[in-house]
Amino acid sequence: MRSGLRHVALFLGTLLAVTALVAAWVRGAAVRLDRLVAEQSGERAVAVASAADEGYCTGELKRILRRVLTSCGLVQGGSQRGCQPLQARSVAAMSGADFNALFVPLADRAAIIQFDQDSADLDAQAIELLDRTFADQRGASYFLVVSRASPEGSVAYNRELSRRRAESVLQHLEERFHDPDLEREVGLLWLGEEFAQLDREFCQWQRSRPTGPCGGAELNRSAFVAWIDCRL
Amino acid sequence: MGSSQRTPLLVVAVAALAGAFFAGVLTFDFVAHLDRQVHAITCSVTPGLSAPDSSGSSGCHAALMSPYSSVARRWTWGGIPISLPALAVFAFLLFRSLDLLLAGAARPAQATAFLLAATLLPLFASIVYFLLSVLRLKTLCTLCTALYVASIACFAAALVAHRRAAAGGSLRPVAWGWHIVQFCEGVLFVAIPVLVYLLVKPAYPEQVAHCGGLLHPEDRYQMRLPLARQGGGVPTIEVLDPLCPACRALSLRLGASGLAQQLDREVVLFPLDATCNWMVSESLHPGSCTVSEAILAAGPQAETVLTWALDHQPELRTLGARSEKELSARIVKEFPQLAGALGSPAVKSRLNRSLRWVVANSLPVLTPQVFVGGRKVCDEDTDLGLEYVLTRLLHERSLAPSGVGGR
Repeated sequence: MRSGLRHVALFLGTLLAVTALVAAWVRGAAVRLDRLVAEQSGERAVAVASAADEGYCTGELKRILRRVLTSCGLVQGGSQRGCQPLQARSVAAMSGADFNALFVPLADRAAIIQFDQDSADLDAQAIELLDRTFADQRGASYFLVVSRASPEGSVAYNRELSRRRAESVLQHLEERFHDPDLEREVGLLWLGEEFAQLDREFCQWQRSRPTGPCGGAELNRSAFVAWIDCRL
Repeated sequence: MGSSQRTPLLVVAVAALAGAFFAGVLTFDFVAHLDRQVHAITCSVTPGLSAPDSSGSSGCHAALMSPYSSVARRWTWGGIPISLPALAVFAFLLFRSLDLLLAGAARPAQATAFLLAATLLPLFASIVYFLLSVLRLKTLCTLCTALYVASIACFAAALVAHRRAAAGGSLRPVAWGWHIVQFCEGVLFVAIPVLVYLLVKPAYPEQVAHCGGLLHPEDRYQMRLPLARQGGGVPTIEVLDPLCPACRALSLRLGASGLAQQLDREVVLFPLDATCNWMVSESLHPGSCTVSEAILAAGPQAETVLTWALDHQPELRTLGARSEKELSARIVKEFPQLAGALGSPAVKSRLNRSLRWVVANSLPVLTPQVFVGGRKVCDEDTDLGLEYVLTRLLHERSLAPSGVGGR
């Protein structure tokens, strides 16, 4: 009789201990869930995916960029692709040196694609550097192509030559990457020989002919390309 | 009863107590997730003395989030944790061994035989789960291993106890009724805690919760990767990081659920690795950009590379954290056809488009995310509740008028 009672007591005691533990744990989770549902306003503390907006994108830089990019067809609402040299000067509303200074923070995101004299053809080195730079988009929203020409020839001819250089870059990107966003992210700016010419400081930047001569003429027979990590 | 017969019973009791303790910790961790939040989990045989795993990369986490951690998942949110009946069985073995110890010479005939038979259940379950861990999960969970050891110890000690009882001539035939009572006691030990668990656990709302959808579901960048398409299934998009442990667990759960056959699955790669993803300040899963490039570069073999990467996550993460070069070399060793493709502008640009698709849809910066018929499965339902919610979603879709809820 006593052994029967002991058996039942042990049975019930062990079973109750396990059941009570499980009930307490599950009840705790249920209470937490109720509390969370009551507190939840639908907002979650998780970041939402967005384009990059780097620290160098100051208000001043954005204001100038917006003005330049809208006029040059990069920002939605812009009426054309590419700017004429005089237009660039007027939309930038600044000196050539100040204009170039805008791009200094982009040093590691930019490259100088160099051309032969009187040519808009991309050579193998230029293609390699252009592809590498363009593929390194990360979260950038705009790819700026600023082409120039060296002072040989007439102003009008150089203006046209720099336009062809910018378009040569664009055409290559279209053919190579088939990116559906290309139209709204690549902006062309051709400056001919008239405005914001590159000086020798830019010799330190990534160039497609890094070992070649780096005078003013060589530097400006080029298309300066850069991803701009700013949200406008 | 002499000490030669008492000692093995004592060992059974101690092993059963240890087994109940480990199964209890596993159950506690599982049950904590019923609040549908993320919790650190115990991954040590000395809970409280070592830090719980909050990274999600331990074997214990993989086991908990695997499709094998619970049963009846389609029927109830999260299912019934397999560690709960384990806890009950070890508690029963503890009860039986203590009862025999206290009964001494007055114990019923063949009681040790029943105890031995009862220890076969955890032993068999341990063998099955050990094989699942090694062959399917490819990792071992510390607490589960402790449970296997406790099962073996229970069985071995019960075997010794029975052999000594048989050698002592204390076995006499007993009526079948005695065995049935013992068996029913065992059944009650499992059934009552499970019943209480089901009665107390939080109920899921009548309708599957709405957690938004996709702003721009179209694949304008042509970077989504189709997975073994069934044709006629519900269009499903999985936003994955190939080196994220939760993504692997999701893939395993989907595969094991049998629901994948009803889905037309596509994957969008979203590596949480700062090398290519500007949305994270530090790499949560180092190397996942390179692995994603490999998947995108593989063309028709993309699913093979993805599956391989999911199966080799710890190794690839380690290599990624050490050196991108070593990681690339490992990938090329496995898939020689990818030599030259990794890091190329074309594949980098493609991966960037994948990230831009995530930006275009303003998705949260986390993985995994699942969209079924354009509708997002709530993040809290993508782990333990996936099978339950997916079943409900598919059922709701089957009841909806044609064209409702499509992409």
